[in-house]
Amino acid sequence: SPSLSTSLSVSHLTYLSRSPVCMCLPDYVCVSRRGLRLGMAKVTQVDFPPKQSVSYSKETQTPTCTQTHTQAKPAEEEEEEEEMAEPKPAEESQEEKADQEEKQEEVPPKELTEEEKMQLLHSEEFMAFFDRGSRIVERALSERVDVCFDYSGRDLEDKEGEMQAGAKMSLNRAFSDERWSKNRVVTCLDWSPQYPELLVASYNNNEDAPHEPDGVALVWNMKYKKTTPEYTFHCQSAVMSAAFARFHPNLVVGGTYSGQIVLWDNRSNKRTPVQRTPLSASAHTHPVYCVNVVGTQNAHNLISISTDGKMCSWSLDMLSQPQDSLELVFKQSKAVAVTSMAFPLGDVNNFVVGSEDGSVYTACRHGSKAGISDVFEGHHGPVTGLSCHSAGGPVDFSHLFISASFDWTVKLWTTKSTRPLYSFEDSCDYVYDVMWSPTHPALFACVDGSGRLDLWNLNNDTEVPSASVCVDGSPALNRVRWAHSGREIATGDSDGQVLVYDVGEQICVPKADEWTRLVHTLVEINENRDEGEELAAQRLVA
Amino acid sequence: RFSAVFIFSPKQAEVEETLKRIQTHKGVIGTIVVNAEGIPIRTTLDNSTTVQYAGLLHQLTMKARSTVRDLDPQNDLTFLRIRSKKHEIMVAPDKEYLLIVIQNPSE
Repeated sequence: SPSLSTSLSVSHLTYLSRSPVCMCLPDYVCVSRRGLRLGMAKVTQVDFPPKQSVSYSKETQTPTCTQTHTQAKPAEEEEEEEEMAEPKPAEESQEEKADQEEKQEEVPPKELTEEEKMQLLHSEEFMAFFDRGSRIVERALSERVDVCFDYSGRDLEDKEGEMQAGAKMSLNRAFSDERWSKNRVVTCLDWSPQYPELLVASYNNNEDAPHEPDGVALVWNMKYKKTTPEYTFHCQSAVMSAAFARFHPNLVVGGTYSGQIVLWDNRSNKRTPVQRTPLSASAHTHPVYCVNVVGTQNAHNLISISTDGKMCSWSLDMLSQPQDSLELVFKQSKAVAVTSMAFPLGDVNNFVVGSEDGSVYTACRHGSKAGISDVFEGHHGPVTGLSCHSAGGPVDFSHLFISASFDWTVKLWTTKSTRPLYSFEDSCDYVYDVMWSPTHPALFACVDGSGRLDLWNLNNDTEVPSASVCVDGSPALNRVRWAHSGREIATGDSDGQVLVYDVGEQICVPKADEWTRLVHTLVEINENRDEGEELAAQRLVA
Repeated sequence: RFSAVFIFSPKQAEVEETLKRIQTHKGVIGTIVVNAEGIPIRTTLDNSTTVQYAGLLHQLTMKARSTVRDLDPQNDLTFLRIRSKKHEIMVAPDKEYLLIVIQNPSE
């Protein structure tokens, strides 16, 4: 039989209703009279929070503004007391209040809505404060005394050190337009021959904005601090190349992806082209990566070459059909996929082109041998940029040209030899463009896909660039163009930004002996090249 | 949404004019008005910079004021000027507000 003690020991959790007599009797006795009625007990639970140690965050005990503020909020504290459901002894609630005050101060102050801010700004107290405060501030602002000026010039020494280090290349301007250049790649840059402060940049299509025109050309102005373009031009097809029309200061020429050449005029109020070449087999049907105006004031032509090797020459007055056209084919069979073109200084007939197959070709426009003349092999990837030497001086270096390629190198060539003179291999990414300085004979710039803009001085060092800068964010730099003065350099990146850098005088201004030094440098380069080839030949034989 | 309409009193216009004058003064980089809790109520700088300046300068001003009053309880802070290598920060304090102006003195 069940023991009596066990059944009675759990009695504090259950109680028997109604008949008190049943409570004293063992279970089995009650069961026989009527069922035990069990009910849930109302459990009283008492929770005592752990004792919180009071700590002070203030360093001093003196009353400050913040403390007076919390004391001035008795209403809020009372509210909180009421919210506390659990009953507490009086002392504990006091401590909790103090702790909560502390917590309130640590919590950042709540944000004010615009209306609250406006209310404050319109209040009498604010007006009074502002009247006094602004008076003092305006007096202080107008005081231009620099009490820290050091006449010994010692504080300037530190600054000069910084200036020296950074003086090689410093960012002057960054041009970009939220609507027209964002999300587009800068495909070409050209400085105006007439107004040295104007720079035209062409952009390809914006994939995120299919309803906007695919081709954009913006004319930027370096002279003023205005951040918006001087002129905004657009057209239906992505613009792959652009140039100011030499001898026609109002015109900007663009070569597009569809093969059309477009002409914008800043005299018209339209942003769309005033003239367009036809989309026909007589003109171009492939993207035009090269446009250039060559010749003299009285006898000039617009030259354009598309990627199918077709070269057309146009008159800017009449773009309805080309004056002349030529198919650039190598050895009568292979059409040259032209990606870049350059005319040597002063030459209107002979030129060089770079192609997708990695070769560079020389060609001429007129004569019995019009077309491709020689092939210069050396690059292992498509040629992205070409530049012919243009710094005129005591010695003529117009036979020199440089090429940039996807194979991470820039190569130096002379038209007198089909093998490269030298290969510059400092880059670790596709080199997208290269350009000789217009004033310094031994200086050229190149840009690559890792965001680097390098300046090489052949008279200083041919192994490493003499100056280098990496653009913030490392975007791929697609184009580089020296300004006509040779003191500034513009670069366009894959994010639609055009950056203009000032080049330090010690780098970009040529000294009188640069030309003769370059002669010696070239002799050395030639000797090294021949030695290298002899060694290679010997190794093959052995 | 109900938006309040305020009558632009001549005094308010004066405040606006003075603020504009200060903001366009030579070399002024930014102007911030902060209330007693350190919350900016008017600013010419971007949000994150404003919050940073307002918070730090509010704390510094409180400390400066308590220093002045600890040294002499009958004294009080009237103006705070921080001259650094690059800028000058001026703070005109009050019981309720702070007017902060940042200037580049070399311009």
